[in-house]
Amino acid sequence: MIVSIKDSFKLFGIFIITCCAVTVCNMFLNYYLDIIDIESLINNEYAQIFYDAQIMTCKVVCAVSGGCLLATTVVMLFFYIKHYIDSHGKEIGILKALGYSDFRIARSFSVFGLSVFTGCIAGYLISFALMPSFYELQNEDKILPEFSISFHPALFIILVAVPAIVFACIAVIHSMRKLKQPAVNLLKGITKAKGKNIEIKNKKNFIADMKSSVIRNRKTLVFFICFSSFCFAAMIQMSASMKDLSSEYMGIMIFIIGVTLAFTTLYIAVTTVINSNSKNIAMMRVFGYQTSQCKTAVLDGYRPAAYIGFFIGTAYQFGLLKMMVEIVFADFEGVPEYNFDVKMFLITLAAFIVVYEGIMLIYSSRIKSISVKEVMSE
Amino acid sequence: MIKIKNLTKYYGTGDNRFKVLDDISLEIKDGEYVVVLGASGSGKSTLLNVVSGLEKSDSGSICYDEKSISNMSEKQLTSFRKDNTAFIFQQYYLLPNLNVEKNVKMGADLYGNKDYKKYIEAVGLSDKLKKFPNELSGGEQQRVSIARALAKNPKVLFLDEPTGALDEKTGRLVLDYIIKLQKEQKFTMIMVTHNSNIAETADTVVRMNSGKIIEVTKNQHKKSAYEIGW
Ligand SMILES: Nc1ncnc2c1ncn2[C@@H]1O[C@H](COP(=O)(O)OP(=O)(O)OP(=O)(O)O)[C@@H](O)[C@H]1O
Ligand SMILES: [Mg+2]
Repeated sequence: MIVSIKDSFKLFGIFIITCCAVTVCNMFLNYYLDIIDIESLINNEYAQIFYDAQIMTCKVVCAVSGGCLLATTVVMLFFYIKHYIDSHGKEIGILKALGYSDFRIARSFSVFGLSVFTGCIAGYLISFALMPSFYELQNEDKILPEFSISFHPALFIILVAVPAIVFACIAVIHSMRKLKQPAVNLLKGITKAKGKNIEIKNKKNFIADMKSSVIRNRKTLVFFICFSSFCFAAMIQMSASMKDLSSEYMGIMIFIIGVTLAFTTLYIAVTTVINSNSKNIAMMRVFGYQTSQCKTAVLDGYRPAAYIGFFIGTAYQFGLLKMMVEIVFADFEGVPEYNFDVKMFLITLAAFIVVYEGIMLIYSSRIKSISVKEVMSE
Repeated sequence: MIKIKNLTKYYGTGDNRFKVLDDISLEIKDGEYVVVLGASGSGKSTLLNVVSGLEKSDSGSICYDEKSISNMSEKQLTSFRKDNTAFIFQQYYLLPNLNVEKNVKMGADLYGNKDYKKYIEAVGLSDKLKKFPNELSGGEQQRVSIARALAKNPKVLFLDEPTGALDEKTGRLVLDYIIKLQKEQKFTMIMVTHNSNIAETADTVVRMNSGKIIEVTKNQHKKSAYEIGW
């Protein structure tokens, strides 16, 4: 086995994201399946409107959060595969040179499906732990007839078994594609995949050159950083509005998921940038570039992506909530009018600036701790 | 003037602890060209790293013009290196994601040197400006690392086997260029090599064995890179 089971535990980004996705989706889908059973028992118009709105909410929430997180999981899986092949190029190259077939190597990447499986299982269990209070809350005013939590085996298959198998297959297929190159290229670290040996225009100084090369070489990380601040902006502002529109419980849940996703992806992105550049940083220090210059070269290039993500997230949550209020709950009385919450926006923005810049500052001490001797470690 | 006094360094811990550098003392004048010779594993690279401040010694002192670098903080050492030193490593250590030109620019920028292309030309790589390290042969990479160090216009240049990966013809060419530049700009140069013929081009030859200096000789008549055997 080339990729070991232990390696699959390192994909904790995938674990967290699938866990969040399954928690949310299972909770809403289970609820959805339970209330469609009682539709025939509904006997007044008011309850019917409430029921329709609930059904719609379930669909929207599952489609939006499920779809968004599914796409992110795929991107993250590709990222981990590329990262693994890049950082184990020598070993894999030697195996290929010895005559191992691409498929024989690629098939061991199927263990990455295991991290999807553990993430899904965790999410599945968490959702059942949260479900009693969630159900109670949804029918707080007893508008709908009585109903209780039941277990739907189909959901287990769709949300746990299927993703694990599908992602294991995707991992094998994608790694096959990445491995299709001469063994020598892997040994020398020339990956055929776009991303290496990218020509960049001459900038005014070396630090600027380095900055754009760092970004160009790891475009996925731009996405991660963008996604991270997107989650931060969208989920925190949404959770604040949710408190007014729905319930405190929903607000807190969204807040926790948003912050978890934001920090996980940011952590993955920044540690990857620094680890994959540690030799470069050490070499710059050998020549006499100070820590702050190394930080500028390696980390500062991502700042625009972070802020762009923040603004997209803000717009997204506004659009989504506006749509929910004006379309889904259109016939429903008592839903407060929803307007853009400028105060909350400013608070979130301030929090974002403090958190983001704070984290970058923490990481510059990581950069400082890279010893110049690291250039010499092979 | 570089004053090295009673330098000792250990590697490893416990039973594996052994002395790599054993009570080394040496004085190197400004503009002097020193060659360090010795068998593989005798501690030459380690000496270079310690003298240049890349590694700490366990005891002893290193002074550049009365200024000791032994007690400098990492920040002070970094700015010391910025103003004074450049390296050519045995294993080149180029930045893999940047092309030849930008690798050299890394050194040049620190000195505010805009005219760095002449160094690339001098090592014979003007036609490879846009190539990346993994597209170059070992010897070509070595020449990039030489151009990178020279472009920094150092006061002290440290070289670890700078011609190790080069064939005789290219080796002589590059060595000749380095020596010529050293004469012109009068920087101090400390070069480690296996090739005892190269020692004939230096002012001073230091022979090492098992971490100790066993002999220091001065050359009365320095030869040029084209006069020595290879
Ligand atoms: N980081 C390290 N940890 C432990 N031992 C080391 C380390 N680096 C070097 N050594 C050991 O120290 C000794 C001297 O190494 P050094 O690299 O200075 O030798 P050298 O004279 O440059 O040899 P060569 O000519 O082969 O480059 C060697 O025996 C080596 O194995
Ligand atoms: Mg050596």
